[in-house]
Amino acid sequence: MSNIVDEKLRKIAKDLLESGEVSLIIGYGAGSSPRRTRPVFITDAKDAHKLSFNRHSVQDLAVFLKKAEVKKFSKIGILVKGCDEKAVNVLIQEYQVSRDNIKIIGVECNGVVRQNLADKGESSVSEATVYDKCLICGEHRPLIYDYLVETDEPELKLSGALKPYTKIEELDAMDPEERNEFWRKEFEKCIKCYACRQACPLCYCSRCIVEKNTPQWIDTSIEEPGNAQWNLIRAYHLSGRCISCGECERACPVNIPLMLINEKMARDVYNMFGYKSGQDTETKPVFGVFSEGDLNDFIK
Amino acid sequence: MIMKKEDINSNPDPRIIAFVCNWCTYSGADLAGTGRMKYSDNVRIIKLPCSGRIDPLFIVEAFKKGARGVLVSGCHPGDCHYTSGNYHSRRKYAAFRDLLGFLGIDLNRVEFSWISASEGNKWVSVVNEFTEKIKSLEDSSTDIFRK
Repeated sequence: MSNIVDEKLRKIAKDLLESGEVSLIIGYGAGSSPRRTRPVFITDAKDAHKLSFNRHSVQDLAVFLKKAEVKKFSKIGILVKGCDEKAVNVLIQEYQVSRDNIKIIGVECNGVVRQNLADKGESSVSEATVYDKCLICGEHRPLIYDYLVETDEPELKLSGALKPYTKIEELDAMDPEERNEFWRKEFEKCIKCYACRQACPLCYCSRCIVEKNTPQWIDTSIEEPGNAQWNLIRAYHLSGRCISCGECERACPVNIPLMLINEKMARDVYNMFGYKSGQDTETKPVFGVFSEGDLNDFIK
Repeated sequence: MIMKKEDINSNPDPRIIAFVCNWCTYSGADLAGTGRMKYSDNVRIIKLPCSGRIDPLFIVEAFKKGARGVLVSGCHPGDCHYTSGNYHSRRKYAAFRDLLGFLGIDLNRVEFSWISASEGNKWVSVVNEFTEKIKSLEDSSTDIFRK
């Protein structure tokens, strides 16, 4: 069934590499189990048969665009789902990659299966098995692409019974003291492994604020104040930029619901400034510009 | 000096940190001083070149070191010495304030204001009102930035 998708992908990759239009293709390949895929890096057209895409292709491959090892290839082809493609848009918008040097191979996607369920044998795509982001996905087909591979997966049926991120409204309704308690418990778990940062396609600073030590802004020990500070600052640096791929939350070994914060900020930025991240490559980043009519109510 | 939590909760004189811009609010505070106007001495002023220079990390750092309240103040919109620093910071603070609130910080503890160099009296009233507000907050209120 998905062989048609794979064949199309392989054909595109082979043509791109043979014609020399790109020197590297980043895509998904077979993983350690049939219900897992892993990223593959293809530099030779002969290896194009390793490419494959299916409902278990969870990872956001745009994360590799920030790596020095990948950057040195300069002309890169990348396989992206609709959600991942927004990350590429933000990277182009922020001058981290050039649109001329990147070939976007978009694949239509109707939801990816949660990895933890897939590892237990789940392989069907349904409301109950896909990630939260898939339930509110507005980009089943990538917004910008050079090549598009259409999916043969059935459309994701939504009954509307499952509403992701409802915890945000719950938290909003709480008083500060209760919210504080909720987050204190969550941040207490943080072990400062920085997996959230490493998995994030938009955390590309060569020297992260947490690694700056003159002055040391953020405590690197895994104690409460530093943990909260780290998670707050990362969320702040991503507000107006996060494209909700959910990789930070997926990477978190102690399951801190990081997407609640990111999603909350995305909503607030949209409400305040009418800005959604990753929609195109031309708009200026929301915190790079201002309007004279911006919200002023909270200032005396 | 880093204050212990016990000290803060039992402290009738809460520490308030004011991050102000060099060109407007600091001069405004200076005017209040030269005009011999009296205002709450709970406030400690930290002068920075522009409200655009006041990184949200400063606010967090102040809380972490035991401040009960943080005041951020700069030039009125349109008056920025660097043309647009305050416009940029206004956007940042709007988002940052929401984030602080979402993580459980009592938003009564953070105050923003625009105070010009000629508004010594506004500085006095903003500081006094903010101090009163901070003093009226329940001592039990904690935050995630402190042990």
